[in-house]
Amino acid sequence: METAEVVRALAYLGGSIAMGFGAIGAGIGEGYAAHQACAGTARQPAVSSPIQRTMLIGQAMAESASIFALIVAMMLILVVDPSGSTFVQGVAFIGAGIAVGFGAIGGGIGCGFPAGSACQGVARRPEGQNQVTTMMLIAQGVSQGPSVLSFVIALLLMYRAYESSDLVTMAAVLGAGISVGVGAIGCGIGSGYAGGDACTGVGRWPASRGAVMRTMLVGQAVSQSTSIYALLIALLMIFVA
Amino acid sequence: MEITGADLIRAAALLGAGIAMGFGAIGPGVGEGYAAGRACEGVARSPENSGLLTRTMLVGQAVSESTGIYSLVIALLLIFVVK
Repeated sequence: METAEVVRALAYLGGSIAMGFGAIGAGIGEGYAAHQACAGTARQPAVSSPIQRTMLIGQAMAESASIFALIVAMMLILVVDPSGSTFVQGVAFIGAGIAVGFGAIGGGIGCGFPAGSACQGVARRPEGQNQVTTMMLIAQGVSQGPSVLSFVIALLLMYRAYESSDLVTMAAVLGAGISVGVGAIGCGIGSGYAGGDACTGVGRWPASRGAVMRTMLVGQAVSQSTSIYALLIALLMIFVA
Repeated sequence: MEITGADLIRAAALLGAGIAMGFGAIGPGVGEGYAAGRACEGVARSPENSGLLTRTMLVGQAVSESTGIYSLVIALLLIFVVK
């Protein structure tokens, strides 16, 4: 059994981890958005068209982290060439799959909350739909931050040239993937929850938009601080350990 | 591949650092986001109280962050201090 064959096997495994876990968050988040859209449409059938448009925009944003996972999975399964790689490269593929796969969970679920609240807000006050949609997009953009960082770390793990192929480096790349991937879950969900309540508030009381946006951004920034710690640990492990 | 005892210890420490910081970031993230959400709704309801609400939110989030800091300390200890 050659090293290149083992590395290719690990690349396939990493790709399947990436897409398998990466599909969880977007499914849950987009379903939640659709649930709220249905509730809003049931309450106000005349406004069904703006509600559906808001729902689709919000769902598209929630999908983006899973698209990152799909890209990494395709790269690992179809594009990566393991000939001449060392064994540590294979473990790095697993780490990359964990990073982007788990990292997509939080972003997907988190982006569902603002989308759902925006749909309910449009149902309640259709004339405020532009403001609510803007707040939703900002909240979703911030919620996706940790997932984007996980995607970057996954690419780094996949394409870094490793000098030594020993057990310590293998544990380091695996630990880096777990740190940044799992670490993005809670921060994505929390930031999304904050954005969801902010969209509810703007939907109900549009005059408070400025103050709500400031509070939301401060709250989301603090919520994402632990994902920055996780990114720091991952970078330390890739470059220093 | 030769695996010495020292290698195994270092490898386990690095893997443990990743697990510590990775899973340790879940709880504070969700909790702080929950606090920020209620603060946003409160600010929407009464924007004149935004200063008070933001302060309360930040104090609550700082306490919620404490376990995340513990995870960071453990992860840094495992990477740099443990032999």
